[in-house]
Order: sequence, then structure tokens, then C-alpha cells
Amino acid sequence: MIDLHLSLRRTASTSGATRADDRDGSSEDSAAAVRLEAVGHEYGTDSGRLRSGPDSSVTALEDVSLEIRPGEVVGLKGPSGSGKSTILHSVAGLLVPTEGRVDVLGTDVTELSARERTRLRRQHVGIVFQRFHLLPSLSSRANVALPLVQAGVPRSRRRRRAESLLEEVGLGDRTTHLPGELSGGECQRVAIARALATDPDVIVADEPTGELDTTTGAEVLDLLTDAGRDGDRAVLVASHDDATLEVADRVIPLRDGRVVTDER
Amino acid sequence: MSDERGGRGSRWLGVVGFSLDRLWKRATRTRSGRIAATTAAVAMTIALLVIVTGIALALADGGVTTETDADVRVAPEDTGSLTAVDGVEGPRLGETNQRAETIAAADGVDHATPMLVEKVRLEAANGSDANGAASEPRTILVIGVVPDEEPRTVAGLSTGALEPGDPHYAGGTYAGAQRGEIVLSATAADRLGVSDGDRLAPAGLDPAEIADGDAADADSRPAPTVTVTAVEDAGGDAPVALAPLSEVQTVSGASDGELADSVLVWGDDEDAAAVAGEAYPEAAVETDAGTDPSSLFDDGLAFATSALALVVGVTICASFVATTTGMTVDQDRRTLAVLESVGFPTGSRLAVVALSTIVTTLFGALLGAALGFLGIEAVNAVAASTVAGASGSGAVAQTHPLLLPYAVVVGLASGLIAVPYPLAVAHRTTVLEEVGR
Repeated sequence: MIDLHLSLRRTASTSGATRADDRDGSSEDSAAAVRLEAVGHEYGTDSGRLRSGPDSSVTALEDVSLEIRPGEVVGLKGPSGSGKSTILHSVAGLLVPTEGRVDVLGTDVTELSARERTRLRRQHVGIVFQRFHLLPSLSSRANVALPLVQAGVPRSRRRRRAESLLEEVGLGDRTTHLPGELSGGECQRVAIARALATDPDVIVADEPTGELDTTTGAEVLDLLTDAGRDGDRAVLVASHDDATLEVADRVIPLRDGRVVTDER
Repeated sequence: MSDERGGRGSRWLGVVGFSLDRLWKRATRTRSGRIAATTAAVAMTIALLVIVTGIALALADGGVTTETDADVRVAPEDTGSLTAVDGVEGPRLGETNQRAETIAAADGVDHATPMLVEKVRLEAANGSDANGAASEPRTILVIGVVPDEEPRTVAGLSTGALEPGDPHYAGGTYAGAQRGEIVLSATAADRLGVSDGDRLAPAGLDPAEIADGDAADADSRPAPTVTVTAVEDAGGDAPVALAPLSEVQTVSGASDGELADSVLVWGDDEDAAAVAGEAYPEAAVETDAGTDPSSLFDDGLAFATSALALVVGVTICASFVATTTGMTVDQDRRTLAVLESVGFPTGSRLAVVALSTIVTTLFGALLGAALGFLGIEAVNAVAASTVAGASGSGAVAQTHPLLLPYAVVVGLASGLIAVPYPLAVAHRTTVLEEVGR
């Protein structure tokens, strides 16, 4: 097990709570790093103007409301098709729900343009995928530094930041390795380091242990939860695995796109 | 770390660096068949284009008059002026006889001669050809040169059959004795119906008057007869002939001003070029008789060949690039999705694709240019051992330094034509489809 309590801590000046306070006078709203209000989403409703025929849309989310505070680790639990990934993608700005409001650090994502959502994601949201999604031709260090490229960080600083993060996730000796030369657990650690590269306020993780064995999965979850609690970040983990969700402060069960009960 | 740090410039610099770094590592650290396929396809197409253009250059190589073994050629700079009248003479060099003597006397120079090219209508001096049939006047390209003791090749013909020197010039008076010698190409002799030892006269003179004269006193006539001293294969089918310079100048009127089309110099390249440059500071001094690529536009067949090669090359190259990079991007959809998920906006993602396509194409073009130059050497080697060697017509394809930038520009143009397709494939990529797999 790797002790990351101190190394994954972030500076207070960039915390989401601080930023939210700046943007919104409401103390209740500002406390939430992520807030979903009556969010609904149907896939297939914007699939093209030329398409004709009967409506083939699928309801993925229906009237979902939830809040996540900085430093809180929240689990999304449910079977396949329950809407877990749709919530994560909405929070990350990868999709715009057809109904409701998604606030990230006080900004309604649904009101932003695609470019603005990309910028919000680059600055404030880190994403961890089930299948890592590292670029196979880049070294671990280059993969971790990837989000900093578009942020305009100079090459030398990108390298230093990536090496520091890889050191923190226990891969200081794997900086020049290609993803193909790493184990699944190591790949996911690189993916977590990449998600932390821009020091985001929110981390979304979709089945982060789905490709890993139990021991490796536990290590990865420790990294994620430490990054959230010690770094004062809101962490949203989607999984259908109860063992994975045990690390969460609270778990939101979903079924057929609806919140069954909020256990807060 | 969450605030944007760099300006627009540093972000684009980062994107360009990332694109090139990724391309390099894909080519060197991973098994990237697509990059190799794209590069090879572009290289082969560009190589073929270079070879065909080299052949076109050889076709357009100024005709037989440039077939010389001279080391340096001095010609007037092209004035760039255009004329609507076909056949108008271009600029010529002046005081050529005198300056050629000066050049020839310099260290490192073996010989120098002005070269005057004139179309002259000639016919058999006795009014009938070798078969006894009435001779027809024929236009022959007569090249005036000053021969020396060494046999030199000018217009594909040897000066060895002409007596050394140019006595008729006589220090610029053009009053010296005329030798009345002419060396004909086989084609010229055939057209005139004459052979070695026959006499020729400019068309339009009274045959009876000519029959009374001979070469010895021909200098007293305004248009003397000349004797065929040799018939040679000029390596082509052009009707050309060599004659003493001053005698051609007298016939053509170029003696006034000692005009010539160019000056040929034999000797050490650098010395000869330096001396020629001093003698004619405003003229173009060409070393080793390189081919002028602009001659492509003057030769219909060569121009058509090179233009066709260009169109076919660009089309095939662009098609190859579009197909292979399109397939590469299709494989790379997940990479593009990852870039989007970490905050690369559409413009940056498309820039990554476009840069990868253009750089791969450019690398292929450079490789293709190198292969093309090797191909030209190979074509000439094969031709020399087969058809060209038998006819003695020399190289069938020519290289030129401009072929390198030409290949690069064509490759770049092909890449630019092809790039919309991979960009369209990239633009269609949706992050949710890819990361959800």
C-alpha cells in the first residue's frame, strides 16, 4: 500500500470551495462542488435532423438531483444502464443533459458552449476511465503531462509536474515506460496521475477498478479517495461493485435512470 | 494548477510539439504500419513523378544544339520580355570572337569558342543530288564555331573534321580566306541528298555561276559554296551542321558586332566559369551544361509529359494520403476522444491530425525525391546499356536541383488536398462512443 496522504494534498488557494465562494454568495450552494437539479437525459433526441420515422430515444436519466461537497467521495451504484456513466459524463461536460441543471463549482454546465465546457473540464475536472485510455505511443510521463499541453504549461514544467505525480502514485521508476509495458494497475495509476495533472476540483471515475484484481483495485481506490479527501476534491465514483463503493462517504443507488434512495 | 497558464502561442506550441513527438514515437517506438504505409505510398508516387519529370527534362533539353562536351556555357540572361511573334531571335552575345580568344588564353582554360546558331537554306551546288535528281533547297541548322586541334563535340557533331582556327575572321575584318568547310549530320546530308566531299550553296544562287567557282576562291563571292568534309551521326534526327564561325557570321550578318548565341568553354570548371564571368559579367554562366527547367514549357511533348505526371502524381499521392491517414485516424478515434476528455478543444484535436498528415506526407516526399534521383540514375544506366547506348543519344532522364523542392511542394500540395478527409473523420469522432467502449 502506498501512503499518499501528504503528497496528494492540494493548495487551499485553488480549492473548489474557495472558487465557489467567489462566484456565488449563497453559502449552501457554494458548499457543493457538484450539484445536479432535476436532471433528465434522453439519448437519441439530437441524433440528426435528417432522421425520420418513429422516436427511438432512450431515457437514461430522469429527475436526478444530488450534491457533492469538496473532500467528499460519493459512489454511484447500479446495474448497467442505470445512468451512472451518464451522470459522470454530465458532470464532466462531455454531454449536456436534455433536462435540468448541472452545476460544477457554481457554473451551470448546461448553459456553456462546447468550447466553454472543454475549458471547464480542462481546468476543474479530472476523469478516470475503466480502461485507462492512455495514449499507447506516449510514455507514462507524457500521458500524465497531456492535460497540461493545452493549458500552455512549458515543457520543462510539464515534465516536472508529471514526474512528481508519477512519484506520488508510486511509479517514479516508470516515467519513460509506454503503457504497453505497464501492468493494468500501473496503467490506472498513470491515469489517476493524469486526472490530477491540472489539480482539478472534481474527479469522476467510471468503474476505476473494473479491469483490476482485488488487491490492485484496492490500491487504486486508496489513491482516488486520498486525492479527494486530502486534496479537498469532490470525487464521484461509478461502479456496480459493492466492494469498490465501500470506500465512498455515501453511495447513491440508481435504477433505470432514477435515484432509488440517497443514503446521505 | 487549475488556472490556464500559457497564452495562445504557448498552447499552440505545446500542441505542435505534442503532435510531432507523438508522430515520432509512433514511428520509432511502436509498430505503426499506417505511418510506414503512408510514407511509402507518398515516396513511391513522388519518386515516379521525379523520374518522369527527369525524362521530360531530357526531352526538353534544348534540342541537339545543347549536345556539347563543353564544361562551361555562357549565354545571355533571359530578359523576361515576351513577344507575340514566333521565331523572333532572342538576345545574343556581342564581341564574341575577341572575348572568346581572351577566355581561351586564360589559365585553366583549354579552348573557347563562340557558338552561333543560324537557320540556312542550302542546296547541292551542282543543282542535283547524289542520285542525279534535282536538288531541293533545305533548311539546315548551321552552327558556327571556332575549332581547335582537339576534336570537340558541339551540337552532337565533332569539330575534328574542320580545320583548326578561323582565318576568315582576320582580326575582326572578316576579310580572311574562307575555308568553305561544313560538317553535316546524317539527317542533314540525307535531306540535302549529299555526301562527304559534295559541295553546297545557299539556296537561290545561279547554279551555273556556282559551278564555275571552287572553294579556293570562294572568299571573293558574297555567298560561297562549301564542301562537305564529314557526315556524322549527331545522335538525333535534327538536320544540323558545323561550319567555321566567321563564315556563318558573314552569311547571316552576325559579323557586325561579332554576335553569337553563346560561348562554349572547355577546361577546369571553376577557372573557366570565373574567366567567362569576367568576360561577360551580365550573362548567365552555366557549368556542365545543366538543363534549364523552364525549357519544359517550350517543348510540347516534354511539357505534356511533365504536366501529366504532375496531375497523376498529385491525384494518386493525395488519394493514398487521404486513404491511409483516414484509416489511421479511424484507428485513432480513441486517442482523439482522450484528447477531448483531457481538455483539447476541437481546433487543437484537428490540428494534431492535420500536422500528423502533413508531416508524414512531407517526410514521404523527401524520401520520394531521394528515390527519384536514384531512379533517374537507374533509368539512365538501363538506357545506356540498351536503347540509348545503341543510338548514342546519351541520358534519357536528367536530374536538376529544382526537382527536390518541386517534389516537396508536390508532396505538400497532395497532403493539403488530402487533409480534409482525415479531418472529417476526426471531426465525426464522439468522445462518449469511444471512451464507452
